[in-house]
Amino acid sequence: MKVEDLNTGEKTTWCPGCTDFGILTSVKQAITNLVNDEKVKRENVVGVSGVGCFDKIYDYLNINFFHALHGRSLPTMFGIKLGNPELKVIGFGGDGSTYAEGMAHVVHSCRYNEDTTFLVFDNQMFSLTTGQATPVSEKGLVTPSTPLGVHEKPINPLALTLTCGASFVSRGFALDIPNLTKLIEAAVMHKGFSFVEVLQPCISYHNTTQFIREHIYKLENHNTGNYEEAMKKALEWDYCQNENSKIPAGIFYETNKPIYEDQWPHIKKWHTVKRNPDFRKILSEFKK
Amino acid sequence: MEKHILIGGEAGKGIAKTTLLISEVFTNAGYYVFNYREYQSLIKGGFNFNVLKISDKPVYSHDNSYDVIFALNQDIINRQEKDLKEEGFIIGDKNLKGKNMIGIDVQALLEKIGASAKLGNDILIGALAKIIGLPVEPVVKVVKGAFKKKIELLEESIIEGYNCVEKKMELDKPDGEPKYFITGNEAISMGAIVSGIDMYIAYPITPATPVLHILASKQEEHDFMVVQPENEIAVACSALGASYAGATTMIGTSGAGFSLMAEALSLQGISEVPLVVYLSQRTGPASGVPTYNSQGDLKFAVNVGHGEFIRVVVAPGDAKECFYRTIEAFHLASKYRVLVMILGDKHVGESNYSFDDFEEPKIKPTRCITEPCEDYKSYLITENGVSPRSVPGQGAVARATSYEHNEYGYTTEKSEEVIKMNDKRLKKLDDLKEEIMSLVPVNLHGQGKKLIVGWGSTKGAIVDALKDLPDFRFLQVSYISPFPAEEVKREIENSDEVILIENNATGLLGDIIAEQTGKIINKKVLKYDGRPFTSEEIVEKVKEAIK
Repeated sequence: MKVEDLNTGEKTTWCPGCTDFGILTSVKQAITNLVNDEKVKRENVVGVSGVGCFDKIYDYLNINFFHALHGRSLPTMFGIKLGNPELKVIGFGGDGSTYAEGMAHVVHSCRYNEDTTFLVFDNQMFSLTTGQATPVSEKGLVTPSTPLGVHEKPINPLALTLTCGASFVSRGFALDIPNLTKLIEAAVMHKGFSFVEVLQPCISYHNTTQFIREHIYKLENHNTGNYEEAMKKALEWDYCQNENSKIPAGIFYETNKPIYEDQWPHIKKWHTVKRNPDFRKILSEFKK
Repeated sequence: MEKHILIGGEAGKGIAKTTLLISEVFTNAGYYVFNYREYQSLIKGGFNFNVLKISDKPVYSHDNSYDVIFALNQDIINRQEKDLKEEGFIIGDKNLKGKNMIGIDVQALLEKIGASAKLGNDILIGALAKIIGLPVEPVVKVVKGAFKKKIELLEESIIEGYNCVEKKMELDKPDGEPKYFITGNEAISMGAIVSGIDMYIAYPITPATPVLHILASKQEEHDFMVVQPENEIAVACSALGASYAGATTMIGTSGAGFSLMAEALSLQGISEVPLVVYLSQRTGPASGVPTYNSQGDLKFAVNVGHGEFIRVVVAPGDAKECFYRTIEAFHLASKYRVLVMILGDKHVGESNYSFDDFEEPKIKPTRCITEPCEDYKSYLITENGVSPRSVPGQGAVARATSYEHNEYGYTTEKSEEVIKMNDKRLKKLDDLKEEIMSLVPVNLHGQGKKLIVGWGSTKGAIVDALKDLPDFRFLQVSYISPFPAEEVKREIENSDEVILIENNATGLLGDIIAEQTGKIINKKVLKYDGRPFTSEEIVEKVKEAIK
């Protein structure tokens, strides 16, 4: 299979130069590699998105895809795994939809640890709605909806997902395609809920490209099996733009724990089940 | 012959269990029994009660005048003895005080046979059986059969209670054929199993929770899954995910949860991923009176979610209808890829109904999933608007989307494509309406020239009231959306007088009838105190309304 096989021919409507293109390229490359290495079957790959700029990836990937509601990628992904555990589900979210509208689901998906992969396109901004603050925007940020500046400190999604029990926590950068591709492949191959934060500067409303390029570094000699170490690294950057910020990227944490699906003795690919219910037997307990 | 027994006391004292055991004795013997439950939003204490109506003829409702009050505390007597018939009795422990009280020294009887205090209710059950005119043997058999393990002195306790009182009433002999005894919630659960359910997803909420419990307890035996996610938004979204992946899926909730699901139900409309929803109404708005009844969400169900799309709403009137309407709901959702709501309420869901038999369902479960053809299009425009449904993993790309789209499912904003897809989805209504016509969307009960119009759980009380309202017939509207306008209009036009009966404050079906047929029903009998109608009330209020 070639990368081009994943093209759809649909016209892209991201801004010219949008860093989302970097993620799209990485996702396509990662899926192609996984299929060619016979690690996943192409027909079993399912994309899921919510609503935001990131969601346009739905139109640009020629795979099974459920384009769901704003902030609701995670429960939709969860449901797909319930419906057919053989499917390889790769979900997409934005920092606005995921941490504002859909925050409850983040906590629970980490806890369920169903075998899915979730990529959050994090530009610290609601961009499609023309640039309002999200829960990851830095304190003091002035936007049309926050003319007095954001009052709160940003949440830290990596620390959050670690705390909630995610079994794979990582960070990539939209403009580092080779490393992001590897990261996505590792995330998909990890058995359990894989969280991938992708730093993705918004060139129209929150252009941190320069800042991230200057402060990002690759995690090396890091023990991904050590939770305390992972948390320490997760807390290294506070999502604000400080002169001495250090932004680690790579896999922070990876561990094996029981996945959601494995705890259901009778979960299966339901649509292949043949049924022939006997109504009289089913009702018999109501006639003693 | 009719006998009314009220069984009441504090929550947690075995009222529900006692009621079911007594009901079983009667239904086994061939009597018809209706059981109404009333309880508060608490776990222990309060004043819960059940009202049993027992007859040798079919009954579908309860009344508020009792032959026997079976009291487990003083509070229930203080509240309910005003409704005890002149010739009725109250049965309870000797410490309780009330009109025509038959006080039993439970403590002394237990001590006499050396039984523990746990068997106190069984002493009283024995006494009740004797007073109302039952033989003791079937009572012993049913009570013993209710426990997996043998309970020492159980039989002796019942007999002791039976022997300590005198027979006070006579029962007519029934036909002798045992009856089905089933609640609406049980019937919906069984209907789902017969429909081949793969996945039931729900968040706990009264009065829909029993379906969650019943199905959860059956999942291994019948090979399906029951999942309780973090909230109702996740319920509806994960249900769409599961259905998209190929699972036959149902969700269940009440008004508060249904409000949270509304956006996802709109997603059903455009994504055309099949979904069955059980909506069990309770008294609102907001938290309202959460363990009581209402028909207040009719227009909410018919209009749920933003945008224009097909919402099928079917409202069963008793437990038997719950069973068959659920099977229809699964069938229609799967065949037409639409949202189908089973609109019940606390009354039809939690009351026990009795029936002679259940006929074999005409509809057999089908998944309506096809092997994809070459150049498969998830939203292929077809003559009847229904696109063949493939699922992920079958080879062709399967798409589902919340955005307007072309036939492949790709996002579109083009004027002509937006129109085409809207038309395609709404086109499904033609075949859907035709099929619903074959499913008996309205039912007529009785022969009178005057007309009562109603829907859902009021059916029981209205049907039972008809014998005292010989001038009336009852038009029961079961499919509310799409609305059987012609049938309803015709009945209204052919009637000397029309009265609307609803368990809500404003007459919501009346609004829908006006919108759909242009007919305005001015005479309304409405009840909105959280309690269902009794047949006595219907007779009285209808007579008042036509004065």
